[in-house]
Amino acid sequence: MSGVPAVRVSIESSCERQVQEVSLDGVETYVPPLSMSQNLAKLAQRIDFGQGSDSDEEDPNGQSRVSDWSKQDLEGEEGLVKFQPCSWPWDSVRNHLRSALTEMCVLHDMLSVIKEKKYMALDPVSQDPIVVRTPQVFQLISKKKSLATAAQLLLRGAEKLNKSVAESQEQWRQRDFNAELLHLRSQWKLRKVGDKILGDLSYRSAGSLFTHHGTFEVIKNTDIDLDKKIPDDYCPLNVQIPSDLEGSAYIKVSIQKQSADIGDLGTVSLFRKPLKAKPGSQAWHLKLEAAQNVLLCKEIFTQLSREAVQIKSHIPHIVVKNQIISQPFPGLQLSISLCHSTMDKKNQRASPDKTKPDDHLYVLEHNLHQLIREFHKQTVSSSVMPHPASAPFVPKRLRVAGPMAYDKSEISSLQQSEGLLEKIVKQAKHIFLRSRTARTIDSLASRIEDPQIQAHWSNINDVYESSVKVLITSQGYEQICKSIQLQLNIGVEQIRVVHRDGRVITLSHQEQELQDFLLSQMSQHQVHAVQQLAKVMGWHVLSFSNHVGLGAIESIGNASAITVASPNGAYAISVRNGPESGFKVLVQFPRCQAKDLLKSDVLQDGKWNYLRGPYKEVHWSKMEGRNFVYKMELLMAALTPYP
Amino acid sequence: MGVTCVCQVPVVEGKSVQQTVEQLHKRLEQLGAVKQGSFFVDCETYHATTNTGAQPSKLLYVMHNSETPLSCLVLFDGGPTLAADANFDVLMVKLKSHFQNAKGHKVESRGARYRYADFLIKVGTVTMSSSARGISVEVEYSACVVPGDCWNLMKEFMQSFLGPSVPDLPSVFSSKAEGLFAPADCMDTMNQYLELFSKIRKQQVLPGSGVR
Amino acid sequence: MEAPPVTVMPVTGGTINMMEYLLQGSVLDQSLDSLLHRLRGLCDNIEPESFADHELVYLLKGRQGNPFILRARRSLAHPTAPWHLRYLGQPEVGDKSRHALVRNCVDVAASHSLPDFLNEMGFRMDHEFVAKGHIFRKGALKVVVSKLSRALVPGNTDNTEPLSLSYLVELSVLAPAGQDTVSEDMRSFAEQLKPLVHLEKIDPKRLM
Repeated sequence: MSGVPAVRVSIESSCERQVQEVSLDGVETYVPPLSMSQNLAKLAQRIDFGQGSDSDEEDPNGQSRVSDWSKQDLEGEEGLVKFQPCSWPWDSVRNHLRSALTEMCVLHDMLSVIKEKKYMALDPVSQDPIVVRTPQVFQLISKKKSLATAAQLLLRGAEKLNKSVAESQEQWRQRDFNAELLHLRSQWKLRKVGDKILGDLSYRSAGSLFTHHGTFEVIKNTDIDLDKKIPDDYCPLNVQIPSDLEGSAYIKVSIQKQSADIGDLGTVSLFRKPLKAKPGSQAWHLKLEAAQNVLLCKEIFTQLSREAVQIKSHIPHIVVKNQIISQPFPGLQLSISLCHSTMDKKNQRASPDKTKPDDHLYVLEHNLHQLIREFHKQTVSSSVMPHPASAPFVPKRLRVAGPMAYDKSEISSLQQSEGLLEKIVKQAKHIFLRSRTARTIDSLASRIEDPQIQAHWSNINDVYESSVKVLITSQGYEQICKSIQLQLNIGVEQIRVVHRDGRVITLSHQEQELQDFLLSQMSQHQVHAVQQLAKVMGWHVLSFSNHVGLGAIESIGNASAITVASPNGAYAISVRNGPESGFKVLVQFPRCQAKDLLKSDVLQDGKWNYLRGPYKEVHWSKMEGRNFVYKMELLMAALTPYP
Repeated sequence: MGVTCVCQVPVVEGKSVQQTVEQLHKRLEQLGAVKQGSFFVDCETYHATTNTGAQPSKLLYVMHNSETPLSCLVLFDGGPTLAADANFDVLMVKLKSHFQNAKGHKVESRGARYRYADFLIKVGTVTMSSSARGISVEVEYSACVVPGDCWNLMKEFMQSFLGPSVPDLPSVFSSKAEGLFAPADCMDTMNQYLELFSKIRKQQVLPGSGVR
Repeated sequence: MEAPPVTVMPVTGGTINMMEYLLQGSVLDQSLDSLLHRLRGLCDNIEPESFADHELVYLLKGRQGNPFILRARRSLAHPTAPWHLRYLGQPEVGDKSRHALVRNCVDVAASHSLPDFLNEMGFRMDHEFVAKGHIFRKGALKVVVSKLSRALVPGNTDNTEPLSLSYLVELSVLAPAGQDTVSEDMRSFAEQLKPLVHLEKIDPKRLM
C-alpha cells in the first residue's frame, strides 16, 4: 500500500449554517451560528433526563475533532479508529468510509492478483441481450404515426357526419325543389326532354297560331350558401324565359289630335311600374305570367300590323316600329303601340311626357285581348270537327255551302270579313264619337240655361252603338212643354236622331252638326212651349209654323213663329224665335187702346174698335221671369183681363 | 233565293243576237235597273257508257251557276237531282270511263246582271261551241219563295221590258203539288235552264250569228 | 281575320289532286279508355267529339275491269248535315320506305238526294255499316276511333250488331300530292301510341 499516492478524501460537513440571504452579488449571508449557551440549551432540551443514558455530552469541540480527523488520510486513520458503538454524528460516516476502504482494498488486491495471471483470470461474462433502449426519434415517429391513424379515423368519422348533414340538407332542398316543381306543374305545361325540364308558356294549346316557341326552362336554384341564413324569398326553382320575352309589355291605344310632324313617329316608350309580388305567389309565377303577357301582346301587335299592311282602306295605316297609326276621323289619330320594357336599369328613366294626361284607352286594350282570345277559341272550337267523320276538316258552314247552294251574299256572310284592326278602329271611332257627343251636349247644357237640355244615357250599349235620350225642357214647365224629345243612336261613324214626331235625321261625326241641330231644336222648343202654354191658358193658336219663310235667314236651322189670341180675342201675341236671331215678341192690341190711330169715318159702329189693331213690340229683356215660358205666361196673364 | 223564271227571248228580225241583247239592256236601264256584274250558267252533258242494251243511256247534266259559286248542280232529265260542292267535277273526271263527256254538247249562257229593287234580271247569250244560239232571260223575285203567290207580279214586270214574249208559268212550278208549301229551289232554276238549253240545242243554227 | 291556315281551307278545286295518307290499327274494347286518354293528351285541345255515322258503299260494275267504288256517308247524330261522298283510288305503289298508305282521294259534299241519285247513275249498294266512336285532331292529322256494326235489316240503322270486339283506329291526313313529310309526321305520331295500339300500313288488296 505504500508508494501508492494517497488519495485525499475530503470530508466536509454539510453546511451547518443556513443561508439567510443571498445578496445580489452572490454573497451568502449565513445565519449566525448558535452561541454556546444557545447550543447547549438546544441540546439540553433533547436530553431526556428521565433516562440515564450514556449519551456523551456534546462538546463544542466536537467540530474541531471532526475537522482534525478529516485532515488525516485514510491509512493513517486505520489504527486509530476506535469503533464506538455510541452514536456520534460522524459514526455513520466513519463506517461508510471504512467499508469503502475495505472494498477498495479488496478490489486492489484482486486486481493485482489478476494482473499476475497466475491464479485468477478475467473472463467475460455471457451477457444477456441487452435491451436496446429505443432512440427517441423512433418514438417520435411511432407516436406520430399512431396519432395520424387516430386522426384519420376521426377525420373519416367527421367526414361521414359532414356528408350525412349535407345529404340531409340536399334532401330537404330536393324535397323543396320537388314540391315546388309539383306546384309549378299544376299551373304550367311541363315536359322532360333529356335531362332538361322544359315548359310551354305560349297560347298554342289554347288555339293560337303564333309561331313563337314560347319554351321556358326550369333550373334548380343551387347558388345558396347553406351557412348563411336563407333569404325570405328564396325559391329552389328558377325559370329561364326566352330573352325576347323578358320584362313586361302592354298595348297602348290612344286617340290624339293629329301630330303635324310625321317624323315624330317611332318608338313610344312608356313604362309601367313592375307589379308588386302578390303574397303567396312565387317569383317564377310572376316571371312566367309576365312573359306570357309579353307573348300575347306581341301576337296582338303582329296580327294588327299584318292586317294594317294587307287591308286596303281609304287612308292607309302607317306601321312604324312599334306603333300603328291610323286615322279614324280627319284631324284625329289613333295610335296603337306595343310598349315593351325590359328590366334593364339603364333603360329606366322617367317617361318624358308626364305632363300629358294619360290618354290610354284601357277599354280598347282589354278589348284587343278579348278579341285575340276569341280568335284562339275559334281555332279549337269543336265546330271544326266534321260530321260525318270521314269528311275533311272544313268549317261547318262552308261545308254546307256547296250542297245547300248558297248564293254569294250568304257565302260572304260566312267568311270572316273583319280583322282585328278593323274591329278596334271601329270601336275606337265609336268611343270617340260617343265622348264627343257627350261633350257637346254637356257644353250646351252648361252654356244655355233656357231651355234646359237633359241627357239620359242608356246603360246598355254595344261596342259599336250607344244611345242617349235628349230632352229639351223649360224649367218649371216640364209637364207642359215636352214636345222635343230626341233619341240619339250613336254608331261608329254617324249619329242617328229619331225625333218624337217621327223624323229620322242622320248626322255625321262632325261636332258642329250636332250642336247646330240641338240649337235649332231648342229654338223650336220655345215656340212649341208657347203653343202648349196657350192650350193651358185658354188662348187660341192662330198660326204656327216651324219653319217660317219670312224674315232674316238663319244660318243654323230655321226660325219658327206662332201667333196666339187671347180667350176673348182682344189681344194677340206673335212670337218669332230663331236659333241665332233670338226672340221677337209682338202684342196686338185692340184698336180702342191704340192711341195713335187715325180716326176715320169709315167705321160707323163702335164695335169695330174692339178688333185688334196695331202691333207693339215687347221689351223682352225687361220682362220679369226666370225663363221664356214663365215670362210668356206672365204676359198672357197680364193680357187676360179679369172679368 | 227567290222565285226564278227563265225564258227565251227570240232574236229580233234583222238584228243580231248582240244587238237584241243590247236592246234589252237599254230597256232595263230605262226602267231604272242597276247593272251589278255579270253571270254565267253552263251545262255539261255526260252519258253512261255502260248501257245494258235496250234502254237508251241516261244523260247526266252537270250544271254550274255563278250565283252559287261553290256548288255543282247535277241533274238527270226528269229524274233525281243532286246539289254537291265543286269537287264533283273532279269526281266526274275519275268516272270518265263510265260516264263520257259529250264535249260538243256543252252549252253556256253568259251576260250581264241587273238589279231592280227586289228583282234580279239576267240577260245572257246562249252559246254552244262558241256560236251564239239564242238569248236567255232569267228574272228572279227575291222577296218571295212561293211561285204561285208572285207569278202575276213577275209576269207584269217581265211584260214591262220583254214586251210580247212573256212566258207562261214554267212547268216546274205547275208540276208542284197544289196546296202544299213547296218553296222554289235552285233546282227549279236549273231545270228551267236545262229545258231552255235542250230546246236551243235542238234548234238549228241561227243564221248570221257567226262565231263569237 | 287572317286567312285561315291551310288545314282548314276547303278541299275544293278541280285540279288539285288530294291524297289521303292512312295508317290503321285496332284496340280491344277493354283498352279503349286508355287509348282515348292518351289521344286526349296528344291531340289538340278540343273537347272530345263523338260521332255516329252510317256508310253505304256503292259499286258500279263496268264492262271491264274493277267495279267503281263510291262511299256515301251520312251522320246519324247530325241528320241535317250534308252527305259525304268519297272516292278512294288505288294505293300508290311507291317506295317501301313510305310509312303510310297513300291513295288518291276525292271528297264531295252532297245533298240528301244522294242515294237516289247514285241509283239513277247506275250504282248499286253493295253493303252498309254503322260506325260509332270518337274523332280527334292534331293539326292536319285526324284520328278516328270507331266501332263498326252492321245493320241487321238493310236500311234500318237502329238495329245493329257489332262486327267485332274491337275498335278500329285510323290515322289519316289529306294533303296535296307530293308532300312526303306528311308520312313522317304520321309515323312519329303513331310511335307515341305504340304500346297501346300499333298503327301500320295495311294494304287493302292483300285482304281481298
